[in-house]
Amino acid sequence: MSNPPGASASTQSATAPIVRPPLARVVLVTGKGGVGKTTVSAGLAVAQAARHGRAALVEFGDGESGLRALGKQRGVDHIVIKPDEALTRAASPLFGSGLFAKIALGNFAVKRMLKAAPALRELAMLECIRLVAADKPDRYVIVDMPATGHGIAWLRVPKQLREVSQAGPFFELCDRVVRELVSPGRCSPVVVTLPEKLVLKETLELCEAMENVVGLPAARLIVNRMPSEIAHEAVLEARTLGEGKQPLAAAARALADVLAAREVARREALAALDDAKTSGPALVPVLLPESPIDPSAKQVADWLLAGGALP
Amino acid sequence: MSARPSQPPHPAPREPRVIVCAGGGGVGKTTTSAALALALARKGLRTLVVTIDPARRLADALGVTIGPLPHVVHVDPSTGDRLWALMPEPQASTRTFMEFLFRDEPASLERLFSNRLFLALSDALAGMHELVCMTLVARAASEHTFDYVIVDTAPSRYALDFVSYPPRLAALLESRALGFFGSLADRSGVHETEGAAAGLARKTAEAALARGLGGRLVLDLTSLFSEMLRVRERFAGLANQSARLLLGESSRYVLVAAPTGSALADVRFLARKLEKLGRTPSAVVLNRADVAPRAWAAALLADAQTPPALAMAIRQIEAEREARTSAADQMSEVLARHLASVPRVRLPFVESRGPAEIVLRLADEVASGLSVLAGV
Repeated sequence: MSNPPGASASTQSATAPIVRPPLARVVLVTGKGGVGKTTVSAGLAVAQAARHGRAALVEFGDGESGLRALGKQRGVDHIVIKPDEALTRAASPLFGSGLFAKIALGNFAVKRMLKAAPALRELAMLECIRLVAADKPDRYVIVDMPATGHGIAWLRVPKQLREVSQAGPFFELCDRVVRELVSPGRCSPVVVTLPEKLVLKETLELCEAMENVVGLPAARLIVNRMPSEIAHEAVLEARTLGEGKQPLAAAARALADVLAAREVARREALAALDDAKTSGPALVPVLLPESPIDPSAKQVADWLLAGGALP
Repeated sequence: MSARPSQPPHPAPREPRVIVCAGGGGVGKTTTSAALALALARKGLRTLVVTIDPARRLADALGVTIGPLPHVVHVDPSTGDRLWALMPEPQASTRTFMEFLFRDEPASLERLFSNRLFLALSDALAGMHELVCMTLVARAASEHTFDYVIVDTAPSRYALDFVSYPPRLAALLESRALGFFGSLADRSGVHETEGAAAGLARKTAEAALARGLGGRLVLDLTSLFSEMLRVRERFAGLANQSARLLLGESSRYVLVAAPTGSALADVRFLARKLEKLGRTPSAVVLNRADVAPRAWAAALLADAQTPPALAMAIRQIEAEREARTSAADQMSEVLARHLASVPRVRLPFVESRGPAEIVLRLADEVASGLSVLAGV
């Protein structure tokens, strides 16, 4: 197993290991598009399976990305939910069975509205997660949440719709999702982000808002693609070579530029992490190293375990 | 070259040519879009780049304020005032949009902003931000003349849904669905003209809805729709305007990928989506896809004088480049098989200190692919 180069960052000092609180049985992995949610989700599922024998990875979509990330991992169930099916699955019990359900769901206007209202889609996805978790009481469920433009704002949806509806089957649906899923101890939001100052700042603001608005604090902050360390000695040597008049001076200058750029990237990432220092151990970031090609789920699981993502 | 190019032959003034850039997350789509815009501006063309999902670090580096107004970008002095960027704030979108839609209906706007359902859902309305962006583009294009508008879509497989969103929305707004919901809220008895059967159907559906959703929610929902009825024409007009910009005859579609994650699957998915819209991608950009070993690395490694620490650093850098190159080669092969008719533009991985420098260096690389990417 290789050590994560990021693990020696100042925020994760080797002297005092950080003990993070346990994760709930359902883990919701979220973050902006392109930060590596799928890779982290698959890594978390493999790590949980390594700890507990079995785990499930839930993916919304066609199943391609989970399959690619998981590879041939044993011990992980891959559950694929098509977004359109999520809606029908969650909405059917709403109207009871029989004539009323058929009329309401078959109504041309209701159909269009269900498709147009994204909040309902998110509610339906959460309801499906609740159903999966209830169906598999003996295993950890890791959910690769779809990227949304609004961070983790969708976690507010069931609570808000519950307040709006006040009574009836729809209220009960929202209430069930809030009580059995979107509550502390029931699920753990894991936020994936990048070591960039503004991105980190935005992520932490969102985490804070979620804790205040939903009462559901983020359980982990995973900072992906931490630039690797460059020996400063090498940068200095490249510069010295570059100053000379020997035939390789130009080559050395090109190298010095690349090394210096990497050094700056590393320094800026560390500064961003320092800026984003948080109080609770849950949000002391778990750092994953940058890698030129996608790491395997097994590799990510090793990094997560070494970084103390699972207590 | 003069700051204003001579009158271009086909695009009429105020009808810029649109290039839609789409791709999955993390492929460098925003940077590539900015580089493409810069390369066009260097050619003397007035270009606006619009970012749907603002990248704050890039905005900072380019000196662009995130908000509803376009800004001149001076990252490269040679482009004068030809390069513009517009990066609207997603969080502010729905409110701005509603204020615009209901500008002649203040009472209606007030009711809307106190509708509990609207308050609960307003920041999650799909496609709203995209529509706001395109409305801002149309406004910017009417105030300044642009030769090109580069639309950097949200990082998602469903980013192109937004291209078809305006017509779908317009269809919804012009359809019976909105009228249906609006009429449920209307208790003033305007249904006199409907037949007994239609009236019964409406009442049954209303009862079923009330049973499932609860009476108060149905009331909130239906009054929301009846407010929207007041502005449906303006709404549909905006949606159609966006559709014209995006699906116009001269619009081009560039798919951006990188040898990572689901980028390849995303590109193929997006190409199929485009096909359904009756469009074909003009090019696939393969980002971070180096082609050749770096001469300086080989030269330094071959030299006995190179200190061991340096040699180690070079080997690490070269190993990473080889990994990237081979991943890019594999991807290129798959694309050649599945999207054989779509030209590929390979861009290298740029090692750099900051996003502005990356944009500048990528623009150099993009320049040779401009005919494929932009048709110039």
